[in-house]
Amino acid sequence: MPIVTIDGRQIEVEPGTSVIQAADRLGVEIPRFCYHPDLRPEGNCRMCLVDVEGFQKPVVACATPVLDGMVVKTPHESSVASRAVNGVLEFLLVNHPLDCPICDQAGECSLQDFYMHPDYGQHPSRVDPVEKVHKRKRIDLGPRIVLDQERCVMCSRCVRFSEEVSGFGELQFVRRGNHVELTAFEDRALRDPYAGNLADVCPVGALTSRDFRFKRRVWHLSHTDSICAGCSTGCNLRIDHFEGRIERVVPRRNPDVNRSWICDEGRLSFRRLAGAPRLTRPRRGDRELLWPEAVACAHESLQTASTARGLPLLAFASASATNESLWLIRQYVEAAFPEHRLEFRLDRETEAVAERQDSLLRRADKHPNTMGALHLGYGRGVGLEGLVAMAEKGQLGALFMLYYPPLVGEESEETKERIVHLLQLVSESVVLTTHELPYLADAKLLLPVAAWSEEEGTYTNYQGVTQHAGKAVSPQEAVRPATDVLGDLWQCATAARRPTGSEHLFREIAASVPAFRGLSYAALDSRAATTYPPEGRMHYGQEGFAGR
Amino acid sequence: MAQLLTRNVLDPAQRELQTALRSGAYLGFKQALSLPAHEVVAEIEASGLRGRGGAGFPTGRKWSFIHAALDQPVYLLCNADESEPGTFKDHYLIERDPHLVLEGVAIAAYAIGAHQAYIYMRGEYASIAETLARALGEALDAQIVGPNCMNSGYDLRITIQLGAGAYICGEETGLIQSLEGRRAYPRVRPPFPAVHGFLQEPTVVNNVETLACAARIMAEGAEAFKDLGTKQSAGTKLISVSGAVERPGVYEVEMGHPLMEFLAHEAGGVRRGRGLKGVIPGGTSVPILTAEEAAPLTIDYESMQSAGTMLGSGGMIVFDEDTRMPHALLRIAEFYAHESCGECTPCREGTGWMAWVLRRLLAGEGRPDDLELLLRVGDNIEGRTICGLGDASVQPVRSFIQKFRPEFEALLPKEEQGTLAWQSHGHGPRSGRFGSPAKEAMRSQAVDGPPTAAL
Repeated sequence: MPIVTIDGRQIEVEPGTSVIQAADRLGVEIPRFCYHPDLRPEGNCRMCLVDVEGFQKPVVACATPVLDGMVVKTPHESSVASRAVNGVLEFLLVNHPLDCPICDQAGECSLQDFYMHPDYGQHPSRVDPVEKVHKRKRIDLGPRIVLDQERCVMCSRCVRFSEEVSGFGELQFVRRGNHVELTAFEDRALRDPYAGNLADVCPVGALTSRDFRFKRRVWHLSHTDSICAGCSTGCNLRIDHFEGRIERVVPRRNPDVNRSWICDEGRLSFRRLAGAPRLTRPRRGDRELLWPEAVACAHESLQTASTARGLPLLAFASASATNESLWLIRQYVEAAFPEHRLEFRLDRETEAVAERQDSLLRRADKHPNTMGALHLGYGRGVGLEGLVAMAEKGQLGALFMLYYPPLVGEESEETKERIVHLLQLVSESVVLTTHELPYLADAKLLLPVAAWSEEEGTYTNYQGVTQHAGKAVSPQEAVRPATDVLGDLWQCATAARRPTGSEHLFREIAASVPAFRGLSYAALDSRAATTYPPEGRMHYGQEGFAGR
Repeated sequence: MAQLLTRNVLDPAQRELQTALRSGAYLGFKQALSLPAHEVVAEIEASGLRGRGGAGFPTGRKWSFIHAALDQPVYLLCNADESEPGTFKDHYLIERDPHLVLEGVAIAAYAIGAHQAYIYMRGEYASIAETLARALGEALDAQIVGPNCMNSGYDLRITIQLGAGAYICGEETGLIQSLEGRRAYPRVRPPFPAVHGFLQEPTVVNNVETLACAARIMAEGAEAFKDLGTKQSAGTKLISVSGAVERPGVYEVEMGHPLMEFLAHEAGGVRRGRGLKGVIPGGTSVPILTAEEAAPLTIDYESMQSAGTMLGSGGMIVFDEDTRMPHALLRIAEFYAHESCGECTPCREGTGWMAWVLRRLLAGEGRPDDLELLLRVGDNIEGRTICGLGDASVQPVRSFIQKFRPEFEALLPKEEQGTLAWQSHGHGPRSGRFGSPAKEAMRSQAVDGPPTAAL
């Protein structure tokens, strides 16, 4: 296999690897606009010019395959490459509007970052603002994206995303020379259900997210790596939040799961979460309870209704619960109820959202952890319909339910009716849930638990890949993570205390459940890229400013 | 004067198949069909024919690059886009001897094993496209091309495609993209068209004149062709001369023909007896020659190269002593700014910038270092673009300024005006900035440099 030397460091790569890929693997920064690891290389921005020994002129690292023995120098080491890259950068700024102060991309803009780089940026301007070519700004491209043609560097990432990835092909360049404009035909609204990614792939402020624009300057944001809980794909994403509020969600690159993309539904699922009123305190009927009382009450009433009457307890958990919650439910139920059924629902609701699936990322199963539930011994069982039938025959003693409303899509009316019916039929029911949901109002005891993004845990996607989701924000008021509540219930049943940290619980799972054997909590994230944007952020701003 | 391609151009009936056949049309194709394809390639290689579109690449070698798998389609594309300013030789040839062009297309297609050939013409050539289509119809009816060409068992379909008139469509990968129905954005090479060309299949793109030469070579033999011209430039060249000459037009000259003799005799001398100031020998993309430089040269690849320019497309533009070179250069620079396809950064932004600076110079609003700026911008375009048109836009700017510098300097603001306001803001020339290793230079710039920057 060819061995290449980049800035004095050697790496062996597969034949056909491009210089930029080899450099990325080495961690050598090569500036780029048009190159994107999940798009076909186009070589049009010329920003990744490098100096290759034996070549007469600088070549683009993105479209030059590595040859054995190649010696490459990047702008960090070579004045030839540095001059070339600086020339390109200067060209890109000739007609750039320089409206950074009012640009939403500021702070995560490649053009801004590259200009600040001491090795190839920071040149004095040779252009007067009056000389610039002006283009249209603030073009409405539908509910997701706003286009600013002046800021566009014509890298064509968005055009290629639209053609190659989502397949909608709604963007194109028109006109020529420095009058080239990116446009959607007649400025029509984009129909692409993945349009949100266009703002992510755009290295500058040309395509910005309508949802996030002007909400928060990006340098104010804190970041938490997470997994989308909108469907069973489990796209890797990063939650950007400010003072306990989620401001946006962006994809993290994971070549095995979602590459660099997420769907718009998943991207905006956090808004759904915040859109409905939350359940904030434990409640029995109209009476609000404090947690110790609520937990004791829950355990006792389940005991009475089930064990005392010799009828089985039905433990029923959404497949949106984390592996750790599902594991603890099993632990609790097995310890306290000799007669029990463990089920999760997977009946008609998949059909209700069938039109929201495709071959790219979106799957019909809108639960992030169906596979985990199956691995942990939850049965598809008789389904909701069968359970209602059992309850009607008086075969169920009590119902214990951990219920998460879907982040994407809705439960069908039929499903909701069945839940209502079931809750009316069983004599005792304890429901742990996140929101005030009318169809759960008949539960005898309601316990508020943390929603996605408010608790740490793991999900196993449809491929069987177990992934870690971090806690980005804290739940409000008396809301607690489900694992905490379940730990307390377990204590009621066994009179013993147990740790309920997700790392500890995961270790227990890995030790006892075959499907998880050998997995280590710390290593779960290793398959995903660490940061956004997908090509890796370059942190040199400090150095640049320090010199000034 | 040698007549190879233009032998029959003065007979209007030559456009008709019967007349053309009487003059020997398609004999070369017949000869080619009697040989195995590789021998046709060998014959063209032996003739020393080089591409007439501008780059002068050996044609036989280009054909020999096609190594297609048996089940893989191969395409021949005839480049009749002829968009280089000052060039109108292909138009002349197609208009007056369309069968010669079709014969060349058929021979090349046979040689590389293509069963589909496209003739890509610029949109402005609609009228001669009709002429060519009529000729193609006649050749099809006579079963010269089409299924089972001349009973040889070889099938060839020829399609004429009109572009919409963009300079970039004359660039071979731009042409391929346009033919595929895409925006004519050139492709990054490698892969070269011989490997992944039209529809990602092996493809050869040849100029009209080149293919016409191939037709003559197959009819009359490589030796006869090689006997014409010089050692490195075999055959003849069509020169389309325009500008300040008495008789602009298309002329065929033997390679090695003295340039001055050509201008004096064929072109009728400089218009109205004025003195010669300069000549662009091969389209605006090649460096201009001053009268002194042009004097000893001959019309062939090597002589032009020795003077630092190129024979190019043979689109010769003559400037007389009254020409204001900055104005002429602005006209050229505006052409490139208008025609830059806009795909890659240096050409997209650089061509517009150069035109802008020239415009303000001519408007009397120039700055003291504008000539330096033009040259530096050119340096930053050259060799940094996807296709050759970036380099092409720089050649005229650099050569005009170098060779006619006093005329440009006269446009600069006078010294006594003192330091202009913008100078004090750190917009000055950057000479020597990258003299030391880049990192150090840039660092010191960051520390000691002026407080103003672009962002």
